[in-house]
Amino acid sequence: MSAGAPEADDLARLLERVSLGERAAFAELYRATSAKLFAVSLRIVRERQLAEEVLQDSYVAIWNHAAEYSRAKSAPGTWMAAIVRNRSLDLLRRGSREVEDVDEVLAGRLVDEGAAPAADLERRAGEHAVRECLGELEPDQRQSIALAFYHGLSHSELAGHLRRPLGTVKTHIRRGLARLRECLERTGAVER
Amino acid sequence: MRLTDPDLRHALAASYVLGTLRGPARRRFARAVQADPGLARLVTRWEDYLTPLAENVAPVAPPARLWPSIEARLGHARTPRPAGLWGNVSFWRWLGTGFATAAIALLAVTFGLRGPPPADAPALVAVLSTPEQAPRMVIEESRGVLKVRVTAPWPPSATQDHELWVVPREGAPRSLGVVPLAGEAQLRPAQLERLLEGGIAFAVSLEPRGGSPTGAPTGAILCSGPIARSKRA
Repeated sequence: MSAGAPEADDLARLLERVSLGERAAFAELYRATSAKLFAVSLRIVRERQLAEEVLQDSYVAIWNHAAEYSRAKSAPGTWMAAIVRNRSLDLLRRGSREVEDVDEVLAGRLVDEGAAPAADLERRAGEHAVRECLGELEPDQRQSIALAFYHGLSHSELAGHLRRPLGTVKTHIRRGLARLRECLERTGAVER
Repeated sequence: MRLTDPDLRHALAASYVLGTLRGPARRRFARAVQADPGLARLVTRWEDYLTPLAENVAPVAPPARLWPSIEARLGHARTPRPAGLWGNVSFWRWLGTGFATAAIALLAVTFGLRGPPPADAPALVAVLSTPEQAPRMVIEESRGVLKVRVTAPWPPSATQDHELWVVPREGAPRSLGVVPLAGEAQLRPAQLERLLEGGIAFAVSLEPRGGSPTGAPTGAILCSGPIARSKRA
């Protein structure tokens, strides 16, 4: 997952063995990944006890769903980190920090539009693409996205933290994400 | 909910993965993803875009008790669940045999491997650990006195007590009395020697104030550990 950590191929092989029910492989996977994943959750939920809950749930899910992991779709570290991030964010919405904090522009369009979904082409992003593309963003956009990603800050928390109006923060995030996508597609990491 | 506008689909998937989509809107979107494989693929794609950023996070080791809890939840554990174990045969087997190595190490440390033990050395010792293997209590017996030391205290409780039991190889656990939730205590139960006879382990159960009303453990096992005896014992 990072320097000094096991390579993606090693993790993918471990996940494969886990999907066959091999407990030793699961223990090895835990040893190789738990400190990173604990840190990812801890930053978002900010309480050790909650992060422990998230980690337990996540490894139970990893054990149960290892067979659904596909090397073709995601890097193994990404797949596991996404599970941990989702559970961390889900836990936030259960707790006292629950806020209806959706960007109104998006919320206004969160309605039934009635037609069939478009098909998406599958192509994995290059490993460092996102960091390179983040570098292309305006500093405000980059900072907002990084704070939201790493610390699980909501729009209003971001606004407080950055001392910017709520609307400005939302715009930074929305435009930043759109530019990020443009960049990732342009650099060939992903096709539309 | 069906979403067709490609930019909107991207924007929602992105804010879902980033975490800024919150509350009921997040739940609505998660439901939409369940019903829309294309949207699910888009979420995966945004996870691929953004999640590599998590590689920058400095690792923090989770507590050691976490792994045994995960194993227990998956039913892999050799360790028992904390409640409802008093009638469980495999639990007693685990207590009796599972700790051989720990008991030997404990004996070596406590009594020394060389020479006869000094006259005032404890006749038996035990380290009691939680089902997650966190040590909580040390017990020593010497000349009819049971010294109990809580090494990792529990928070005080106005309604519940902890009761210490000796678990014999055969038959029901025998009560040694109520023990403190923190600090140290010396117990002098009548006929301690007979109570401890054939005992293979100590266990502490959660009980109503004043101890078990039935004379047998009624609550969850908080910690337990095998008894190690010196050669004199």
